[in-house]
Amino acid sequence: MTERTQVALSKFDASVAKAGVQPGLLLRKRLPGFLWFLVALLIAITFAFPIYFMVSSSFKAETEVLATPVHWYPYEFQGLLNYQRAFEVVPLARFFFNSAFMATVDVIVTVFFSALAGYGFAKFRFRGRRLLFAFIMSMIAVPFQILVVPLFIQVHSFGWVDSYAGLIIPGIMNAFGIFMMRQFAYGIPDELLDAARIDGAGEFLIFRRIVFPLLAPASASLAVIIFLFSWNNFLWPLIVTRSQDLATIPVGMTVFTQPHSDQPRWAVAMAVSTLATLPVALLFVFFQRYFVQGLVMSGLKG
Amino acid sequence: MASLRMSNVSQSFIARRQRWGFYFVLPSVLFFVIFFLYPILSGFYYSLTDFTLLRPPQWVGLQNYQDLLKDRLFIKSIGVTLQFVLGSTVPVWIISLLAAVVFFQKFRGREVLKLLFFTPVLPSLVVVAVVWRILLHPSGVLTTLLRPFTGLGEINWLNDPVLSPISMILINDWSIIPFYMLIWLAGLTGIPEELRDAARVDGANPLQSFLRIELPLLRPTAVFVATISTINAFQAFTLQYTISPGRGGPIDVNTTMGLLIWKYGFQYYRMGDAAAVSVILFAIIMLVTGFQLLFSRGEQYSLN
Repeated sequence: MTERTQVALSKFDASVAKAGVQPGLLLRKRLPGFLWFLVALLIAITFAFPIYFMVSSSFKAETEVLATPVHWYPYEFQGLLNYQRAFEVVPLARFFFNSAFMATVDVIVTVFFSALAGYGFAKFRFRGRRLLFAFIMSMIAVPFQILVVPLFIQVHSFGWVDSYAGLIIPGIMNAFGIFMMRQFAYGIPDELLDAARIDGAGEFLIFRRIVFPLLAPASASLAVIIFLFSWNNFLWPLIVTRSQDLATIPVGMTVFTQPHSDQPRWAVAMAVSTLATLPVALLFVFFQRYFVQGLVMSGLKG
Repeated sequence: MASLRMSNVSQSFIARRQRWGFYFVLPSVLFFVIFFLYPILSGFYYSLTDFTLLRPPQWVGLQNYQDLLKDRLFIKSIGVTLQFVLGSTVPVWIISLLAAVVFFQKFRGREVLKLLFFTPVLPSLVVVAVVWRILLHPSGVLTTLLRPFTGLGEINWLNDPVLSPISMILINDWSIIPFYMLIWLAGLTGIPEELRDAARVDGANPLQSFLRIELPLLRPTAVFVATISTINAFQAFTLQYTISPGRGGPIDVNTTMGLLIWKYGFQYYRMGDAAAVSVILFAIIMLVTGFQLLFSRGEQYSLN
């Protein structure tokens, strides 16, 4: 132990001893926690305010949303009137169906094939394994913005423009998902798989009955972020769909973003915004752990 | 001999089983060949053609690239993009780290406040755009909040050519900072508590402990945040498309390269030009992130 450390230690002991006897110092020791709370409160309010304004404006009268001076809360509370109107102003139910359909298919297919491929890469030694894995991993680094023009041309040549196939199929797999599932599949004990093999189970049955259930926590994380990503995706649905029947919520909402719409309906727009965010918010509240884990692992943000 | 033959038999049996791994990865590999590899390669080819989807592509060599160098909108879009990238990386890096340090402390109500802080990550960027159109109304919320400092009754956040790009950065940073905070927080949580204790025992104050112990250990996180935020910022499209007046305006101060790809490709159907812009954007992203990774690795080596 160095001399400096010993000095520090004795000082540390002294301060502990003092805190024990003097109630005034005890109070001061509590202060930092309270200060951190105040700083955190300030940050949290700053960041959450726009969301608060979105939700509260969805209950305002049309004239209130842009009123000067600002109405910080609904002066003329409208109840669910704006939510009702939202379904009349735009085909919101259709948008919701399209978004939900796309997100559901994306989630199911991505999770299943990511688990299958992740398991294949983790537990089997076939020829070309390293090369194929390196190939898929290099696809993580490809920015979508680079892909969008040739991918559109490709989908156009398939005759898939303005169809559910064109909307959904190109986004149906995710290189990151395969990476993530592989990491988790490594943790599955070989003895378990061998025991099943000795019992005469086929390889696909082993995957379906043993491996896939064991990958459930990873699947949950992956499912949640794929849902977030798919639900909020904008660029691809924007360019590949033409008709309003195929518009997802973000694409359908563009009518509210440009100023040239003859009769701006801001309160209705806020109701639509709130509804559009609700599924993700619920997912976040109920599956926070998987949500956060998935986001942190992927670095994905829709 | 017998044992050798045995192992030969079991090896061929194992080899047959290993083939299943190939079948398991095959669907994914095929998918990535069809929807990633082929489009990327064909993108390079299309950038050397004149292609409007109506007729087969016509080979024009480097003509598209030469035209782009004379294209004032393209030259401008590079500057617009770099400006947006700068504004969406450096402040994000710093503020998200500071926020993570705050939310790493132990205090009452932390989880609830973290939940509130995290809310901007949830809505799609289109929702973000609609909400901020209201907040940034000339006499709206932000103007009102800043009135004690500016004394101005109206500020043209979105239509002023100088302010508008700053507004885009403000909106974007607001929407992504909580996400990067989460990544910093995961990094901070990964540092063993014993190290902090040891530093405290050695007489380090909290600031010293943060600068000398935590920050160096957070290097992988720091590089991750810098790289991912850079790659994402270079692709800026949604905010500029949805919220800037006339899609990229006023006077094209918000026309990023991402938006230009959309304009050339999907407004004018000049696929060759759009592909060429994509290739150049790709090259820039690779160059910048390559530099970032090289730089961070170099530092790591010099430490050892």
